[in-house]
Amino acid sequence: MYGKRKLTTVFAVAAFSLSLGLAACGSENATTPTAQPTGVPTAVPTTVPTGTATPGAAGVFGPGCGTLPTDPANPGSLEMMAQQPVATAAAANPQLATLTAAVQQAGLADTLNSAEAVTVFAPVNEAFAKIPKEQLDQVLANPEQLKKILTYHVVGQKVAADKIAGTHQTLEGQDITVTGSGQDFKVNDTATIICGNIPTRNGVVYLVDGVLMPPS
Amino acid sequence: MRQLIRPALTGLLAAAGGIATAELVASLTRPEASPLVAIGGTVIDATPTPVKEYAVSTFGTYDKPLLIGTILLVLAALAAAAGVLAVRHRTAALVLVGLLGLGGAAAALTRPGGRPLDALPALLAGAVSAALLAWLAPKAAPAPISPAPPPPSPGAQAGQPGSDRAGTGRRGFLVAAGLVALGTALAGGVAALVRRRGAQAADQARGQITLPAPADPAPPALTTPGFYTPNQDFYRVDIALTVPRIDPRDWTLKITGRVDRPVELTFDDLIKRPLTERDITLNCVSNEVGGPYVGTARWLGVPLAPLLRAAGVQAGADQLVARAADGITIGTPVATVLDGRDAMLALAMNGQPLPLEHGFPIRMLTPGLYGYVGAAKWITELELTTFATYDAYWTQRGWAAQAPVKTASRIDRPKAFARLAPGPVTVAGVAWAQRRGISAVEVQVDGDPWRQATLLPTASTDTWVQWTWDWAATKGSHTLRVRATDGTGQVQPEQRADPFPDGATGWHTLVMTVG
Repeated sequence: MYGKRKLTTVFAVAAFSLSLGLAACGSENATTPTAQPTGVPTAVPTTVPTGTATPGAAGVFGPGCGTLPTDPANPGSLEMMAQQPVATAAAANPQLATLTAAVQQAGLADTLNSAEAVTVFAPVNEAFAKIPKEQLDQVLANPEQLKKILTYHVVGQKVAADKIAGTHQTLEGQDITVTGSGQDFKVNDTATIICGNIPTRNGVVYLVDGVLMPPS
Repeated sequence: MRQLIRPALTGLLAAAGGIATAELVASLTRPEASPLVAIGGTVIDATPTPVKEYAVSTFGTYDKPLLIGTILLVLAALAAAAGVLAVRHRTAALVLVGLLGLGGAAAALTRPGGRPLDALPALLAGAVSAALLAWLAPKAAPAPISPAPPPPSPGAQAGQPGSDRAGTGRRGFLVAAGLVALGTALAGGVAALVRRRGAQAADQARGQITLPAPADPAPPALTTPGFYTPNQDFYRVDIALTVPRIDPRDWTLKITGRVDRPVELTFDDLIKRPLTERDITLNCVSNEVGGPYVGTARWLGVPLAPLLRAAGVQAGADQLVARAADGITIGTPVATVLDGRDAMLALAMNGQPLPLEHGFPIRMLTPGLYGYVGAAKWITELELTTFATYDAYWTQRGWAAQAPVKTASRIDRPKAFARLAPGPVTVAGVAWAQRRGISAVEVQVDGDPWRQATLLPTASTDTWVQWTWDWAATKGSHTLRVRATDGTGQVQPEQRADPFPDGATGWHTLVMTVG
């Protein structure tokens, strides 16, 4: 009886699926205009009912992730950041307002957006707030120093969460070291990753609670 | 709980039989009329854009199978529910099934380009499902307590007549269920075969097309590497759930709306007309500054203006709405199509019949406009209408109704964050301002004065211009910026603007390190 019933079920399911000659979707290097004010690279606009659309956050970890906007229509949400090149994605996140201003000040936004693949350790606003205002203003007023500091936060390839522990050469030239495991990582022993592995179109973002200073 | 299994399966089987019938009918008539495809399209349209993008980014190329799978699961759940409902309330269950069929029909009818007959497969699905349910449900129901049970058949074990009756009931159900399953599998199988043959027909027909020589050829092709974008690297933008596979022998293009003489053209009609060959750069409005969604190809097509003039555009018709097999609508100003530019119905790209994903058999091109207002793929209808009375797909979503290309330039070499040796470095890139052309490109290193880049030979004002500039790179970190001047003398605006709603502006700026 069970076997027959199973067979019937198989028939039913097979019959449901058989007639679908639906092919796979398009190439990945395609884009779609969207109702959002930024370019969005979707192969083909398509969808999954909202209820099932949770696994995307799977790779993201850390206590700070909870502060990201949850409305998928919000440009600062994980959903939207995933569609944008990295600097545009960061600019949409209110937690990264100071960083975004600094990136623009240093003229790095296009470079980050045009890079083939990057990993960005992105200090949140509170990280910059830890720097005495005078010192911060001084850095912001010095594009060369600012560029040096900011590129020290960028690695020239995508580094996923399982490879994040270790030493990485930054685009500034000097290395940074990430220590820890699980969901608990420190960068250069000074900054904590508060939300890691945030995907963007051309890079991965790790929110950190401290600004990293190049040793020399 | 256990007694619910058979009714639930009954519902599933009935629905499967109905859907398979619908798919078979749709595959034999019009694949677009498939209720599943229609419902899928409707769900996609009803889904907020960010959710769609999230789905794409999260599930990648599995997004559409997942969508269809989810729709099937929901349908299956509803079908099972209808089966269970049928135990007590047969009429209610049949009404539910009928409503599902009507829902599918509504989805098919309201799809862009939907035709009245498109409702047929879904209605048939509802009717067949209801009939199967009405037939199967009594067999699935627990054995009724009969006042006069028939005598046990000879040779049957006496003593437990109740269980024996359950046995024959079960056997009857299994036979009926098996029959339905078999019929469903057959119908579904044939539908899949027919559909595959249809897809192969498109591929085959594409392979058999011999491109005629252009009556109006383009100048000899440029030989500079990178001027033409290979078809497989050409960016792709569309809303197609599946890449439409159109057999050009079954395809027509209608010119309708505010015209004196509506016309329906076949692929043969078009390919036999005098063809124009042009190099044209096409770009996407959602391209950010320095972004990758721009490309140049050598196109072969039928000039559009004479076709419209022959149809007789009526006074007041200021918008040409292209409808396409993927459901998109694209609105183009009639004036731009008729102003002498090479607006065309393209049938070949870089010497090949249009690739399927680039709009086979025919796509529209309007030089000087972003693709979303001038370059519909898989085009099936051109309707003359007005901007006042109709908003095309992206206009409905807030993008500008009119969107001429903005002057733009991009540094392609060296790459972002490049590490270079001091000394001579060739900086190179592209600049474009279709229709106006590019008269100058300048590069600036850090705060130094702007330097003139060398413009390489280009095909026309409708294509991008490649440029190079020799840089004596000195040690240190440097910021390079580029700006173009269009053919009218206008310098590309420095002011940053996002792509929404009518295209990005700003000077592409890259940081690189020397030493």
